[in-house]
Amino acid sequence: MKTHTLFEGNSHTWLMFGRDPAKPEKIIDTNQYMVVTKDNALLMDPGGIELFSSMLTTVIKQVPVDKITHLFASHQDPDIISSLGLWDQALEGATLHSPWIWESFIRHFGMQNINYNAIPDEGGRLTIDDVTLEFVPAHYLHSSGNFNVFDSQTGILMSGDIGAAMDVDDAPMFVDDFESHIPRMKLFHQRWMPSNEAKRDWVERVRKLNVKMICPQHGRIFKGENVERFLDWFDALEVGLTGQMLHG
Amino acid sequence: MVDNTHSYFVVAAVIAARLDKATRIARHLSITASNARALAFRAGEGASGFRPLTDYIHRLADLTVSSSSRINKIASELSRTAAEKERADRAIQYFADVRKRASDSPYLESLDPVYARTEGRQLQLKEAYNAQIKLLQGELNTLASELRAAGVLATMSRVEALQADDLYQQSLNNVADNVQNVTDSIKKHIDASQKLVTQLTQVS
Repeated sequence: MKTHTLFEGNSHTWLMFGRDPAKPEKIIDTNQYMVVTKDNALLMDPGGIELFSSMLTTVIKQVPVDKITHLFASHQDPDIISSLGLWDQALEGATLHSPWIWESFIRHFGMQNINYNAIPDEGGRLTIDDVTLEFVPAHYLHSSGNFNVFDSQTGILMSGDIGAAMDVDDAPMFVDDFESHIPRMKLFHQRWMPSNEAKRDWVERVRKLNVKMICPQHGRIFKGENVERFLDWFDALEVGLTGQMLHG
Repeated sequence: MVDNTHSYFVVAAVIAARLDKATRIARHLSITASNARALAFRAGEGASGFRPLTDYIHRLADLTVSSSSRINKIASELSRTAAEKERADRAIQYFADVRKRASDSPYLESLDPVYARTEGRQLQLKEAYNAQIKLLQGELNTLASELRAAGVLATMSRVEALQADDLYQQSLNNVADNVQNVTDSIKKHIDASQKLVTQLTQVS
């Protein structure tokens, strides 16, 4: 699994893990993100069981295991958090931050040692050492209980499935040509995202955040002008297709 | 040795299902006892020896129901322990893999306490698993020995039926046959469960 540094500053570092060449076939490639602060680390959308070994191998090249004191699961999907039962054995006393509506579902993955911090629908903040991160509501995009993580200091938005694309396994880390990237993400957004209203509301709120990087869970990262391009494209896209529109 | 180490989940579930069937049959035995008591009462003095036997049939039915319920609970706890142990086993495998793959990591040693903790939990779960199996075996053995007495009960019922008036003899003999058939049926499920528990003891 490759590691890419998205930001490195005095207070914290943003790392992205992905493009795993050892990933089993027929399993969607996922991007994992980690914020490393002075004494702690937050691992976001740590992935499925099948990736656990690669993930832990990659992570302990960056930080000691006991430094990972926080986990975040944007929603309940298996590619996001089905590895929880194994992290639960590795991280004693860590806290998982995740939407309140999924607590009783996510616990099915196995959770006896990790604490669950149920994020309310309106979102919240998490301060780790000198860094404050914001849980931005992104409900119905696609999951009905869903959050992004925003770092106002760096402008990095971990956007979960928003901005995700079905790409080749060794795809570049960043979107270079936005227009040619559209076919890789269009159907995913139209099919997975059920609500135009939720989408418009999210776009409106995110436009006010001064986002410099949109980091999805699958595919490439948007930065610079591509952030605005993505927001415009997503704003105009018809999602939640049904009937003929879906099949035709 | 059980070929597939995951099969203990299935075995625990099969035991629970067998005991559920035994419970249902035991409830039928309880109805038989109530009917027999009424019949013995109507048969009068000639069937007076039959009446205490109906109490025993009742007791046997109650014992089977309560014992099955306890065994079901143990089987369910056993299944949960097995699932937790499986998770710990799997975590140990993954940690061992990570140790190999991250041998160049400056933080590799940070995995040592995690490994030791999980091994400790694995051992605790193994001990809990073995204790639950012992408990399960004990309950099944107790129930099996109680059911062995049921054969005598059926024979005694037939003897007592002979003392009753001709009018009631056939009906009381039917009760005896019913006791025999029902207890045989319960015994089959208990025997099968005992064999399954033996399989569980062979899982490391």
